[in-house]
Amino acid sequence: MEVIHYRELTDEEKYEHFMERIENDEKIEAGDWMPDEYRKALIKLISSHGASEIMGALPEKEWVPKAPTIDRKLSIMAKVQDEMGHGQLLLRVAEDLLKPMGKNREDLLQDLFSKKLKFHNVFHMPSPTWADAAIIAWLVDGAAILTQTMLLKTSYGPYGRALKRICQEESFHAKHGESLVLALASGTEKQKQMLQESLNRWWEPLLMFFGPKSTKDIGHSSVDINMKYKIRFKTNEELRQEFLTKYVEKIQLLGLTIPDETICFDEEKQEWIYQQPDWKKFKQVVSGNGPRSDARISLRRDSYDESEWVREALSDYKNKNQSLVG
Amino acid sequence: MSHYETIVRELLYQLADDNFIHSYRGSEWLGLAPHIEEDVAFSSISQDTMGHASIYYQLLEKLLEVPVDEISHNRKPEEFRNAILLEEVNGPGDYLNSPKYDWAFTVVRHLFFNIFKDIRLQSLNQSSYEPLVHAARKIQTEQYYHLMHWKTWFYQLMSSTEEARSRMEQAIYRVWRDFGGVLTLGKYGGEMSDLKLIAPEAQLKEEWLNQIQQLFSEVDFTIKDDPGMEKGNGRNGEHTSDLVDALNVLSEVYISDEEAVGW
Amino acid sequence: MGKEQFYEEYEVFSRKKDGLSLEHRFSLLAPNREMAFVMARENFFRREPIKELWVVKRSDIRLMSQEEREGFKKLDNKAYRETKGYANLPKLWKYFEEKRETGGVNP
Repeated sequence: MEVIHYRELTDEEKYEHFMERIENDEKIEAGDWMPDEYRKALIKLISSHGASEIMGALPEKEWVPKAPTIDRKLSIMAKVQDEMGHGQLLLRVAEDLLKPMGKNREDLLQDLFSKKLKFHNVFHMPSPTWADAAIIAWLVDGAAILTQTMLLKTSYGPYGRALKRICQEESFHAKHGESLVLALASGTEKQKQMLQESLNRWWEPLLMFFGPKSTKDIGHSSVDINMKYKIRFKTNEELRQEFLTKYVEKIQLLGLTIPDETICFDEEKQEWIYQQPDWKKFKQVVSGNGPRSDARISLRRDSYDESEWVREALSDYKNKNQSLVG
Repeated sequence: MSHYETIVRELLYQLADDNFIHSYRGSEWLGLAPHIEEDVAFSSISQDTMGHASIYYQLLEKLLEVPVDEISHNRKPEEFRNAILLEEVNGPGDYLNSPKYDWAFTVVRHLFFNIFKDIRLQSLNQSSYEPLVHAARKIQTEQYYHLMHWKTWFYQLMSSTEEARSRMEQAIYRVWRDFGGVLTLGKYGGEMSDLKLIAPEAQLKEEWLNQIQQLFSEVDFTIKDDPGMEKGNGRNGEHTSDLVDALNVLSEVYISDEEAVGW
Repeated sequence: MGKEQFYEEYEVFSRKKDGLSLEHRFSLLAPNREMAFVMARENFFRREPIKELWVVKRSDIRLMSQEEREGFKKLDNKAYRETKGYANLPKLWKYFEEKRETGGVNP
């Protein structure tokens, strides 16, 4: 193949070459030429994925100090730590994409505080009991595993590498969640009831998690662009169907009732029939107007502001250090 | 229970409760540290430390024939033997509502306690109570990283901006006022060292002061007075409302269902 | 402005165990290399064994451009650098062995 001299190519030729690479399943790297549409789609997807991890740490964090036993305290700490760690990996990927625009993590965090940077609907919801920590770890993480596994083959190399690490750790989260749910489901009436109430709270947000079936539901969607560039490979509905196939039976096996009387598997169409969630509510929640949106965003912003002096101090320390070394 | 075992129990409570309450305070920081990468690193340290508490509680479980979680999650505040300094809140506010946590206090408390913990572990290495020797050796393996981590933070914050230096100095004075409560072995201290369970209190304290002086000399800082014990002696069951509040939070779920046999 | 100084990129490399080479793991943001080092361990190796850990400031690395990535290609005509380029040797040895058997070559 002849060597491509990028400076000599027109934008159209660059685009053609780029699409050829996408078609050949080559991985795109951070410094590569990419169409604006691709960069923007990646930034939107990965920064909100990263923000979801960072914000996703908070509902479970509420239960870290309260976890019932030492072993549970340890495992939930490790789990929430991983969420922060996944946030770190994903924000690094997003930051490298934003770099040519002169932006860094500070800008991403400020966007999060001002609600410009969106995060998953589920992390705007309250988690009032210990059973919520269990349902989140089992089902929210279960949903996330499906999405993330689908994204593993993504055309953007750095995202794929981050996801590989993330998926490895998610298998621990699934076990942690299963273990919490199984303990409650085989416990006292009070424990079982707590679990059922939590499932009732989380069912609709869980269905919403995958996003609307068609663009009609909320008016726009980036799914098509993401599929075109092989950033993702499945539609929202395909993922939701996978989720139902994987979990409905297990949930019922535990003696829990899914809060949807219409749910059933249509053998003819080979798909799940379910009560559509309220997509208007979804749109409202993800734009930062969910029941816990403001409280959680403030928690993150306040703690960030409170430690501003630390970041300033260390920048200064580095400068001193460098001037010593020369 | 023999007299020897009674004294062993007292020491084990100190070791377990110090690590448990200290790691509990660390766990409240999760998600709120000054930098995402640091959040992850700090959480590992809190987990390690809670793991150390768990090792000591398991020794108590054998000795008392009471389950670990019953000991750690269902005792009255006056039965705790941790130093008061370690139960103090991270700062105003709580971990759910506008926490105004003090990073300087956290760095200083962690470093000073870990320097002491290291000295105490070395002494436990020669303990007459064999299970404690094994426990100490296991725990020591994780100390290297903890000390390196907190020393890095201490040196850098002490040698950066004026604001950081001043916050750090305030934190040192604050920790100093109650560090005596960490250094003491409490009212059974004499018997603990007579029974060769651990080195005499005075010896542990001297070694700690030596290491702290060394640390201070590297950042051009001095302090004249001996560390104090203003808020009381936790080794004798004296505690503040900070511990009462912490125990209410940490045992909220555990005691919420009396019939529950598992969680 | 402090912010940019604080968020410096560091690349993290590690060797898992004896006998393996150093491998690139990921990157992190840190204000200086001591901090980068201290944070790297728990960010990337809290479950993996680790024998050796390096952190390198990204700006100190001579990275590749896309043109270079695509330009670093070679023809597949360099068998002479590999053992597969010498597949005829056994045949030659065999020739000498057969010759010895017929008494043709003296030691």
